[in-house]
Order: sequence, then structure tokens, then C-alpha cells
Amino acid sequence: MVRYIIRRLLMTLPTLFLVGVSVFSLIRLIPGDPAQLMLGDGVDPGQLAEVRRQMGLDQPIHIQFVEWASKVLRGDLGVSLSDGQAVLPLLFERFQVSGVVVIIAVMAALTIAVPAGLFAAHKQNRAADISIVALSTVLLSIPSFWLGLILLLAFGLELGWLPVVGYVPLSTSLSKGMTFLVLPIVTLAVIEAGVLTRMMRASAIEVQRLEYVTHARAKGASEWRVLTRHILPNAFAPTLTLVGLILGNLLGGIAVLETVFTLPGLGRLLVDAIFARDYPVVQGCLLFTALIYVLVNLLVDLCYPLLDPRVTAE
Amino acid sequence: MQIPRYIATPACVLLLSCIGFAVSAEPTQLRARLLSDIRSTDPGVNRDGTTDAVVMHMVEGLVALAEDTSIAPMLAASYDVAKDGVTYTFRLRKGIQFHNGALLTSGDVVWALKRYFDPATKWRCLSEVDGRGQAKVVAVEAPNAETVVIRLERPAPLFLTMLSRPDCGGTGIIHRSSVGADGSWKGPVGTGPYKLGEWKRSQYLELKRFDKYQARSEPASGYAGGKKAEVETIRFLVVPDSSSAKAALLGGSVDILPDINESELADIQSKANIKVDISTTTSISGILFNTRDPLMRDVRIRRAIALAIDGKELVSGTTNDLAKLNNSAMPSISPFYTDVQRTGFVNNIAEAKRLLKEAGYNGRPIKILANKRYGTMYDTALIAQGLAAYAGIRLEVEVLDWATQLDRYTRGNYQMMAFAYTSRLDPSLVYDMLVGPKATQTQKVWDNPEVQALVAESMRETDKVKRQAIFDELHRRMLQDVPLIVYWNGIQITAYHKRVVGFRQWPMEHPRYWLVRMKH
Repeated sequence: MVRYIIRRLLMTLPTLFLVGVSVFSLIRLIPGDPAQLMLGDGVDPGQLAEVRRQMGLDQPIHIQFVEWASKVLRGDLGVSLSDGQAVLPLLFERFQVSGVVVIIAVMAALTIAVPAGLFAAHKQNRAADISIVALSTVLLSIPSFWLGLILLLAFGLELGWLPVVGYVPLSTSLSKGMTFLVLPIVTLAVIEAGVLTRMMRASAIEVQRLEYVTHARAKGASEWRVLTRHILPNAFAPTLTLVGLILGNLLGGIAVLETVFTLPGLGRLLVDAIFARDYPVVQGCLLFTALIYVLVNLLVDLCYPLLDPRVTAE
Repeated sequence: MQIPRYIATPACVLLLSCIGFAVSAEPTQLRARLLSDIRSTDPGVNRDGTTDAVVMHMVEGLVALAEDTSIAPMLAASYDVAKDGVTYTFRLRKGIQFHNGALLTSGDVVWALKRYFDPATKWRCLSEVDGRGQAKVVAVEAPNAETVVIRLERPAPLFLTMLSRPDCGGTGIIHRSSVGADGSWKGPVGTGPYKLGEWKRSQYLELKRFDKYQARSEPASGYAGGKKAEVETIRFLVVPDSSSAKAALLGGSVDILPDINESELADIQSKANIKVDISTTTSISGILFNTRDPLMRDVRIRRAIALAIDGKELVSGTTNDLAKLNNSAMPSISPFYTDVQRTGFVNNIAEAKRLLKEAGYNGRPIKILANKRYGTMYDTALIAQGLAAYAGIRLEVEVLDWATQLDRYTRGNYQMMAFAYTSRLDPSLVYDMLVGPKATQTQKVWDNPEVQALVAESMRETDKVKRQAIFDELHRRMLQDVPLIVYWNGIQITAYHKRVVGFRQWPMEHPRYWLVRMKH
């Protein structure tokens, strides 16, 4: 198992290298100059050139890359061109915000989606199934920013139950911090529940047609036992794969929701950095996201044997 | 049981006093929205308009900009400009303290100015004082503890105007402890009515009232005059999404919302607890032409576009009838704005078609750049596209992100673009921003040596009548050359809760929150 994990982690190195090269090149290929954005319009060209030199932007791109890559290998992602903050601590700080929202939301979505999908599969083509499928289709079709705004207006503005803007870290005050996170979590959970319900239903329908399920029923096992002991573990494996992909995707940033709910998360950091052409932050964010994606999917792969003993890490 | 009056009366008075004390002792906070986080707290360094607006609450310069764009002393009690026009003598006010309690001396001023004049500081306005721009500072001296003398190489009548510019951080005088031993920036230890409190990046920035602030005796005017920090703290909340910001204002999480979009005005004006302040600013919005482009270098085509687009229609559509057409680069609130500047392009489709025919225009598409970060630029491009079509001009709108458009502007890589210039204090500075040789300054839009000479003359000239004549001539030439079409001066819409008292917008756009009180 340990060898498998090490092998998988080593396999991530070429991926991260490719991500690093492409991100480094692409962000520099798009027009826009961090020095220009810093100085504003109407600035003297000589002064602009001087600031570019001080920022190291006048160097050939391959030299800039070698300098950046050598620092990355030493665990230094550089400093933000916009405000001089070290990139790595900044990423961790922002990831905590996005991470809490995403993990709780996906867990909540799973709590809704797994029973709903199983139940829909069990009642296939009946009114309950059609209702669940219709509802989940509607949920996954709703744009997250729209749902977020509606919830914000309803619970923040009209009812006044929850704060409209701001953020308090959970480490400062758990109860107060959660009031700021409820709406983004609910928004994300509702939307992801739609996707996961459909996936769970499809997998369960597939599994319940297999002979071992018929055999279990023929032995006289109760329907609850058939569903929970025989169908669920096998039907959950494809859903788990999807959970891994969703988690990897969302942990990389939920920029739209973070903007609507004014959360200082990783997604907003990335979007702001792209607009400001803050190269070290963009590179750091994307490298970090790629690493998270790989690690989450590795974790998901390691969970498979728990659901299906036939699958081993080796 | 009846309480005797001699006990009840003093008891009631005491109780009411306690309640009164509790109410008055309640800390007052003003919560203002920021569209994006500030870039730094270093005045005039790593900045944008949002940054300038916040930083100007913490620092003050020797002189400051008044509401009518004149220059008034701020940290200086008074100043003299010698007859030679190159020696500026500032006598400092007595007893002024920095936020750390240190007394302001001429040595502090010299240190702060020399820091700005050092290229390592990356001060935005360095080129204005090192000889590349209008002035060259050759010496900054402190003959005694209360006097500062600045010597220039040659006369520069706009030198003080430059010192007071918000984008230069008002050349705010900061204490040495604002930087570390290695010269790195720590935080502003200034003399302004507010001092830096807590800054949670991307969340909020809090300013605290500086209790030892000494206000000037003159009435407040722009960045000059007497400032009084009424509220104890100002919390600038970063709320990028406009819908969320509006919800926050209506829900009471934010007290004041600058930069309201024109399209949201009607909705927000209808709310009972909200007041709206609409004012004209000195920024200019319009369409730029790249006169080096093979097609756009023909003045007949540029003129045809100017005549084909009905300016009134465009301004009305873009600003929801809030702004008025102004084809002059001179802001309409400027004292130099006269009947000459009121003249502009008159919509004339027939003449536009004639000019196009004469120039041999064959319906080739012309790209006009815009972005959606600044909605009015996008709307300008769209409406211009529709109106120009009446004369058979094919404009194609290309939408870019702001950074890309700014890059294309800087490199002079475009045919046309919808653009807006930030406020400039003096008409000479407005023209200086537009005029210059494109061979060396690709961002300039008007490349005409005679015009350059006129702009330079306007900067040297101190006589108001002569300056007016130069500005009139510049306006006439701009309408002839059509290097750009100015359409309107900026509109600043600020919405605030009725409990906010004393807020007033001014032509420089940046909101000022000293003198603002909160009603309980």
C-alpha cells in the first residue's frame, strides 16, 4: 500500500511540471502588464520600464521560469506582485475558507443524494422516481450565483436571519463564523446534490439488475438489507469517483460563490490575481489546485477497497 | 408605596444621565463598500483609485487640493513661491503630530520627500519631478525645524498641483517608522485624521480615529481645510459583487455604497431609508482613435465617425440621462470651461457619408475595443456601433478584460476603443495626458508637434487669460484633428443609509469620510 501511494505521488510530479510550464507560459502570453496595472494610466514609459525591471519582468521568459522553478523546488512560491505577500501562506489561508465550504457542502450533498438516488432506483419509473429525477435535474441546472443571490436576498435581506456580507474565521468564533458560511454551503450542497442524486440513481439501477441482488432477494433478505448491504456498496463506487472529481474541481476554487458571498477563498484569489496579472499568485494557485486535485483523487482511489474488497491498491 | 419626590427626581436624572452616557459612549462605525481591495497602504506607490481614496484618509501633504481644484496649504501653515519660480518655501504648522505621537519637523518632511524621489520607492509621480516631466527637483532642504525649501531646475507652475494629486498619494508626509530598516514598507504613520487599524486582505480594512489630529481652522474643502474625524472607525468592506453590495446596503450591513451603476439607480432611489448623491466628476469618457492605424490615420474617417454618432443619444443611453454631452477634454466644472469648450460635433449623417466617400471607405469593419469591468465603456462601444451604422460605418465591438485593454492602450495597439481617463486637476494635465509623440510614447492619442508646444506653453504660463486662450485653441484643434471624441464627464453615484449624515461627493471622485457622522 505504501509503495502504491509513493508510486502515485511520484506520478504526480510530471503532471505538476506540465501544469507549471503551461501556466507559466500561458499567463505571460495573454496581454496585460502587472507594472502597468500598478502604475495606472498616463505613466511615463521610462518609469514603466524601470518598474518592470525592478519586478524582474524584463528578463527573458526562460530565465524567469528557471528562477521561479528553482524557488518552487525549495518550497518558495514567491511573493505577490500586487501586495508583496508570500504566496504559499496566502494559498493556505485562502484554502481554509474554500476547503471548509466545499467539504461540508459535498458531505451535505452526499447525505441527501445517496438515499434519494437509492430510493429513486428502488421506485424506478414510478411517481417518486420521476419526481426525484425532475427535482435533481432542476437543481443541477440552476446557476450557482443565481441561487446564491436568491438565498442571500431571502435569508439575509428579507428575513434578516443571516449576515449579507463579511466573513469571520471559524478559528475566531465558530458560531459567528458559521453564520457567514451557511448560505454558501447550502447553495453548493443543493446544486451538487442534484448531480450526485442522478449518478447514484443510475448506478443503483445498474447494480440492482445484477444476479447477486436477485439471489439476495430469493434468499428472503429484506428490501432494506438488499438496498443497504448489497446494492449500496457497489452502486456507491462510481458516485465516489464523481465525488473525487467534484471535490478536486471545487477545492480549486468556487470563485463565483466566493464573490457573491464575499468570502476570501482560493477562487477569488485566483480571479483577482488574473485580473491584476499577478503572475506568482496565478502560478501558485494553479499549481496548488493541481496538487489538490491529484491528492483528492488518490484518496478516492484508496477508498475503493473499503467498498469493494475485490479492488486492491496493488 | 410612593417614592418621595426628593429621591425620585435625582434618581431619574441619574438614570437618564447613565442612559445618555451609554448612548453617547457607543462606538460609532461607518461601513463603506470597496469594489476591490486596496493594493497597498503606501501613498502613491502600488496604487489604484480605490487605494488612493483610502490612503488619503491617513496621510496629508504640504499642500492639498481644494474643492475648486485650487491648491491650499495643509501641513504647511503657508508657502511662498519665489519670483524666480524655482524656489518653494514652506513654513510648517506647529504642534502637528504623527500617528505615533512624534512631532512633525522639517527633517521628517525632507526625509519623506527624498524617499518619494528615490527610484527604489517606485513612486508613481517620480517622472514628474526628476526632469522627465514638468519639473526637476534639484534640492530639498530644511534650513530650520519649521521650514522646508524645495528648489527646481526650471519654473514649473503646476508643481504644487502635482504634489497634491491623489494618485501621487498627495505626496503625503509619513514618519520614518513607516518603513523598516531595509527600506521595506511597514504601514503609513501619517498625520491624517484617521490611522491604520486592522487590514484583513480581501475582507476589510479598518481605520481608527486619530484623537490627536489637529484640524485646520478653514472650512473643509476637497482634501484641504479643516477635517474632523467624527466616527471612531471606518470599516471599508470589500464587496466585489454589485448585487451583494446592494443587498448589504438595504439590509443594513453596509452604510455607504459609492460607485453605484447607473442602471441600478432607479431601484435604489425608490427605497425609503436610502439617500442618493449624484455628482459630476472631472474624469472624461469617450472614444479613442489610433491615428497610426492605416484606416484611422485618415482624419476624414475619424471626423465622419464623430459626425455619425449622435453624442446626445450616446451619452443619454450610456448614463441613463445622468450626464450631459461635453465634447471638450476640459471638465465642465473647470473655471476654464467657457462657450468655446461648449462647442462640439453636431450629428450630420449626410456630411459623414460624404467624408467617407471622399476617403474611399468601402465598409471595411473597424474594431472598437471595450471591457465589461467598466460597464459604461461597453455601453459606449455598443451604442456607437449602432449609431455609426446609420452612416454605413461598420464598427465591430471586441470585448476584452480590463488588463488586456489597458495593455493595448499602452502599446497603441487598436483602431478605436471606448475609454475613460481618471480625473486630472488642471486642464494642462488633461491635455498632457492625451498629447505626445507616439513614436516614443505609444499610449498618447494626439500626436501633433504644434499641439505639444501649446500644451507645454500652457504649463509654463501663469496668466489666467493667456492660459484660457491656449485652452480655447487646443479645443478648436482637437475638434479639427479628432484624435479622440470626448463625450461626457464622469458621474459618481453614491447611495447611503439615512443614518449617515454629512456625506458629500466632490469632483475628484474619491469619497471622503471625515466630517461624516452617524445618527443613532
